[in-house]
Amino acid sequence: MIDRRLFENIDWFLIVLLVFISLIGVLVIYSSSHYLPGRYYLKQLFFIAGSLVVLFLFLTIDYKILLTYSFYFYGFMAMVLIGMLFFNQFIAKESWIKLRYFQVQPSELAKIAIILVLAQLFSEYKKNHVSRSAVLASSGLVAILFILVALQPDLGTAVSFLPILLGSLILAGLKRKALVWILILSVFVGVAGWNFSLKDYQKKRLTTVVFPGKDLRGSGYHIHQSKIAIGSGGFFGKGFKKGTQSQLKFLPARHTDFVFSVVGEEFGFLGVAAILFLYYLFILRLFRSAAKSRDRSGVYIIFMVSLMFAFQVLVNVAMVIGLFPIVGIPLPLLSYGGSSLLTNFLGASLVLNVKMRRFVNI
Amino acid sequence: MKIEKNRFYEDLSLILNRTQQVSFAVSLLFLLLLFFFWKVQILDFKKYWTLSEANRTRENMISAPRGLITDRNNVILADNAASFKASIIRENCQDYNSSLEEIGRLLEIEKSDLKARIAKYESFPPFKPIVVKDNLGLREIARIESKRLEFPELMVETDPRRFYPFSNLAAHVIGYLQELSPEEIKAEAYKARNLGDLVGRTGVEKEYEPFLVGVDGKLTEVVDSVGRNRGEVGRVEPIPGQNIQLSLDFDLQAKATQLLEGKEGAVVILDPRNGEVLALASYPTYDPNKFISRFTPEEWMELIQRSDHPLENRAIRGLYAPGSIFKLTMALGALNAGVITEQTTFFCAGTTRFYGRPFSCWSKGGHGVLNLTEAIRRSCNIYFYNTGRRMGIERIAESAKILGLGEKTGIDLPDEKEGLVPTEEWSRSVRKTDWYAGETISVSIGQGPMVVTPIQVAAHTALLANRGRKVVPCLLKSPSQTQNQEKKLLLPDTAGKIRAELFEQVIKGMWKCVNEDGTAHAARVDGFDVCGKTGSTQVIGREKAEKLGKEIKTHSWFTGFAPRDNPQVVVTVLVEFGGMGGATAAPLAKELFDLYRKKYD
Repeated sequence: MIDRRLFENIDWFLIVLLVFISLIGVLVIYSSSHYLPGRYYLKQLFFIAGSLVVLFLFLTIDYKILLTYSFYFYGFMAMVLIGMLFFNQFIAKESWIKLRYFQVQPSELAKIAIILVLAQLFSEYKKNHVSRSAVLASSGLVAILFILVALQPDLGTAVSFLPILLGSLILAGLKRKALVWILILSVFVGVAGWNFSLKDYQKKRLTTVVFPGKDLRGSGYHIHQSKIAIGSGGFFGKGFKKGTQSQLKFLPARHTDFVFSVVGEEFGFLGVAAILFLYYLFILRLFRSAAKSRDRSGVYIIFMVSLMFAFQVLVNVAMVIGLFPIVGIPLPLLSYGGSSLLTNFLGASLVLNVKMRRFVNI
Repeated sequence: MKIEKNRFYEDLSLILNRTQQVSFAVSLLFLLLLFFFWKVQILDFKKYWTLSEANRTRENMISAPRGLITDRNNVILADNAASFKASIIRENCQDYNSSLEEIGRLLEIEKSDLKARIAKYESFPPFKPIVVKDNLGLREIARIESKRLEFPELMVETDPRRFYPFSNLAAHVIGYLQELSPEEIKAEAYKARNLGDLVGRTGVEKEYEPFLVGVDGKLTEVVDSVGRNRGEVGRVEPIPGQNIQLSLDFDLQAKATQLLEGKEGAVVILDPRNGEVLALASYPTYDPNKFISRFTPEEWMELIQRSDHPLENRAIRGLYAPGSIFKLTMALGALNAGVITEQTTFFCAGTTRFYGRPFSCWSKGGHGVLNLTEAIRRSCNIYFYNTGRRMGIERIAESAKILGLGEKTGIDLPDEKEGLVPTEEWSRSVRKTDWYAGETISVSIGQGPMVVTPIQVAAHTALLANRGRKVVPCLLKSPSQTQNQEKKLLLPDTAGKIRAELFEQVIKGMWKCVNEDGTAHAARVDGFDVCGKTGSTQVIGREKAEKLGKEIKTHSWFTGFAPRDNPQVVVTVLVEFGGMGGATAAPLAKELFDLYRKKYD
């Protein structure tokens, strides 16, 4: 199934970047958790190795075949999430950080299901502008998983479905007017959600972004400490394992959601700029890969994967520096966590898959 | 390439174009984020660096122990005991009100008390710890420590606590401590002190406050986010206060206090050679241990309200008419002025009249004819009335001043009182009435408006014992502090003002007074040539008392020294409402002379 020509067309540079950023992640995770029991950095290494194997295995299956089975995959994910929901009723709900890292997260993998199912949905969509029925169909598909995941409750992951949906709609040709409508709608949903479904701690996190200095000991604490960590890093940083904010545990979720604050504190602006540059290189290369796709569905896949990465990186980095509410979105590749890592490797694998098969005859 | 593409593949240029637009937007967002990091990490670096340093370090004060106070034989009179205090740092409160409630419950303090306590220091910055409870018990400490992580605003520190092992012994000499008021802390003098610091309020604790107080140390520790200590980064050791050795003799002090028990009065024992105070007791007394606290306990309120004023140091602040003790001054003054000689005699018939008013002797039958030494021995009033009339008030007042009455002795204790030796000038300017000649007669036997303090009488007796050399009573023994020695040298002697040989004549009278069945015979100690004089001062004039038909007990005085040659010790005793000096004060003095002799002679 995989012949020499395919192998030659693998984008090795993308894989190198992917693994390189992940390995930097291991280093930062080590610095921020070496004093904790659990050896997170070793586990993360295993996750990288495992995810890399899965990435290559995934390459052997033509994405076209994956797309034909996408609805089954989607259905399976939905079932699992519903099952989880029932299961969740019977176990104590811990805080958002713990909850998301001490269990396998089907919600992360749901992103891949969404990408595949949307790509399949729009694979033959050749109109200049997207029709209402297509919008409803795609939104409906995403909405089901969104609700299931948000109910877990894992708002962060659920929110990261939205850029994927929006990306597919933009590609399909969303009109300006529709975009405006979506914005109005999201404001409406936001207000409604604020009043009816957001939990108190989630509301607090949102107000904190607007008024960061208001409550330094309460909900503003995390953002405040994160900003102190980053700001006190200065240009060169305090040095590896020398960040007081992280080593003395002033920083919350140091090896997970706030791993980038550790980068800021220990490696300074230099480290921040270098890592942002690597991400930028990686994401830009993902976007550019779209041009190498042999068909429409490939472009959709690549575009949605790129957006998935870009959204998570931008939101996480904006979050740690206090420009975005703490929604619990991990930094792709750098944050500790197997599910997130696997999902991102799978996403990259899909891009590589599309790219390497550009010359294959249909 | 493009042509080929179009031949085999569908046209994707439209959607590819859209991906490019989006990727451009993403690039812009990356740049924007980088700009924000630039702002936070480069432009605001200083601000965040300071914040992170403040986060990771905590400064704890290490209280410096106060200097110890010992007697002349190194018996510790004021010690320090290990103790702990709890403070609140308002800045660290998550929710001020609930925090107060929970801390109140933890420390078992009423919330209203806690609030009042904090309100007292409202005007200080919120990072300053406010002591809310001191002298914590071990159980309380354990309870607080176990909840340390829940209460970042609560701090427990060591607090070396003042402890007086002999409780009320010499309480008036040593003094006591109280918390600095918020106003005082703001003042320049206490700039280096912290909220809740204790300061000497009376006695030696106040007088030598600058020596006794140490310099607090500082401990800078690294702490983590929950306040756990992660090691030291800096330590400035506290400098303990200087120890102070007093001239007090523990045994004499204890004896003096014991003798006064149940009475109201004062005892002063001096070494006339150098002015060192061997004992200084005032009764009733109090236990300063009971209110060494930053708070005002009931004991304190009770003490300040009691009618017998236990907090008052009667030895330096009690004002009493000197009574017959003043006859010594009269004798010396008159001899010096030449108005009498040793041989001058007067006739005592028990009563006489001056300026149309009757004056009587304490002995109703009268003493008959007596000379000076006899008059002293038997404490005849009539003799000194006549002497006084010859001298006049101005010369009496002058002699009293020369002999150390009516002015501060300069003892190293705060708030000593001056007393009063009346003059015509005083009468006009202060009392706003004219001086009556009859008053001079009263003053001649130490009555009238004249008042002195027991310490003055003791210093005065030392001067007599020294045949004219004045000493300043002092409590400090440590040779390192020369301050007092210098003071002593600066003081003028009476030499030249009163001829030295005149002292011998008066001392002869004092010796007889004790040893030849005089009024002070109860103070006689075998083989220890005690010289002394008693006094019994009328609190109200005799006529008035008789009019009221009441038996008014007089204040009872004794002052004396021993031995007659080369005097080593002066003892002055005052018992309020003690009756006759010879009956009440002299026997007490005897016991003290006795003890001194056993110990030192």
